[in-house]
Amino acid sequence: MRLRDRFLLPLAGVCIVLVVWQATVVMYRLPLIVLPPPWDVALALAQLVDTYAFWRDVGVSLYEFASGYAIGVAFGVAIGLAIGESRTFRLAATPVVESLRFIVPFAWIPLTILWFGTSYTGKIALVAYAVFFVMVVSTARAIAAVDPTLSRVGTALGMGRLHLAWSVHLRAAAPTIASAARAAAAIGWVAVVAAEYIGASAGLGLMITNAASSLATPVVIAGMIVIGLVGAGVSALIGWLARLRLDYQ
Amino acid sequence: MTPVEQPVQGADANTPDRGGELVIEHVSHAYVSARRRTPALDDVTFSIQAGEVCCVVGPSGCGKSTLLGLAAGLLPPSSGRLVWDGELVRVGPNRHIGMAFQQPGLFPWLTVRENVAIGLRTRGNNRRDARRIAEEFLSTVGLADFQDAYPSQLSGGMAQRVGIARALALQPRLLLLDEPFAAVDAFTRLKLQQELLALLKRYRPTVMFVTHDVSEAIAVGDVIVVMSPRPATVRRIIPVDAADRNRSSAQFAHKLGETLECLGVITIP
Repeated sequence: MRLRDRFLLPLAGVCIVLVVWQATVVMYRLPLIVLPPPWDVALALAQLVDTYAFWRDVGVSLYEFASGYAIGVAFGVAIGLAIGESRTFRLAATPVVESLRFIVPFAWIPLTILWFGTSYTGKIALVAYAVFFVMVVSTARAIAAVDPTLSRVGTALGMGRLHLAWSVHLRAAAPTIASAARAAAAIGWVAVVAAEYIGASAGLGLMITNAASSLATPVVIAGMIVIGLVGAGVSALIGWLARLRLDYQ
Repeated sequence: MTPVEQPVQGADANTPDRGGELVIEHVSHAYVSARRRTPALDDVTFSIQAGEVCCVVGPSGCGKSTLLGLAAGLLPPSSGRLVWDGELVRVGPNRHIGMAFQQPGLFPWLTVRENVAIGLRTRGNNRRDARRIAEEFLSTVGLADFQDAYPSQLSGGMAQRVGIARALALQPRLLLLDEPFAAVDAFTRLKLQQELLALLKRYRPTVMFVTHDVSEAIAVGDVIVVMSPRPATVRRIIPVDAADRNRSSAQFAHKLGETLECLGVITIP
């Protein structure tokens, strides 16, 4: 049962996708530049991982992501905490947050290119922006949802407001914040790739657009698969880190 | 106010009366929101002597917990004043109080020992002392073997004992109990009441114990303050003698009847 549930069934799902893919190519006699069969993509992937340029592109994308993500999470949690703790701050910050958070990160891409060109900085700013709003909103909500008994207990034990915010509210909200951080990672990764598609001097997104303009469709699809795998890996890593620190339930 | 400012010392079986006097004078309180004003307390006046256990009984939602919150300095009264040891009760963290709640409110990310120690740390004890005192009080409530457990691993009664230990470990001069046994089963509750009585005898704080269980009030209290429904006023103050506490005695039954009648729950012909 374990073998079936853990390996055979997931494998079956992947196989069905590959078969449908192969069948589509054969049935409609699609040329290589429209949709290459799975095997050609696998070959392209194998060639890619053998080049230095590929790993440099992966490195650049991950670097942009990690920097922007760290900045976005740090500021997002800090501002979210302040919104959750202080009525004054909440009233002042809410209109700003609410109006900006619906300007999706992608709407900023032209402006970031104007400001930062195709440098890493623009991508980092974009990821930080995307991650920031997810974290602000979910942190503020998580803080507001902390069991009020815990606040009363903290005050009765002699904690002042800051102490209470830091050691009780933030700590109690940590599991919720961690799952938001995991969701934010997916959004941040999407932002990196999207920004690189539009204007970049290096990175996975650029690699793919370059391959597309030279009609190397197998490389395009191989690159897309890499984006998926890296994204899933990053998300799993963050989930694992969260469990490592928060597994007390 | 000398002993208050010092870090908590270890327990001493012969601690003299360490409580102070709490005076509640014409206290009214209303919760005000944008839409409405909900009165909770209306001109409440009574006082608790040093070292006395005062049980406040009243119908559900009558404002008993509000009274505790005011005494703890968790919120300010709308009018009137609360005086502890000759000084107005200050809103904010107060060093002389210890508090336990109906939901024990243990921090789920801390072990049982850390849950008790955190209050001691907050009040200025160093790590080693906090740990030692926490262990001592956990043994007192019979949880020596559960110090490294997390709250999610405890039964309701055990969690409540930790809550009591956490409040007592601070060696408070004023102990505020907000229906601490309301959420545990009847059998455990009787047991916890007996344990609490022994602990109160040992540490002698001034106690305000809010409950809606009249028999619990008679079993634990020196005096019972009977409140009216919301907005609460003091209906009557009923003293309890040591002789009344024995649950199998006629005095107990008599006291129970008297209190319940005052609450308007039963009528005695």
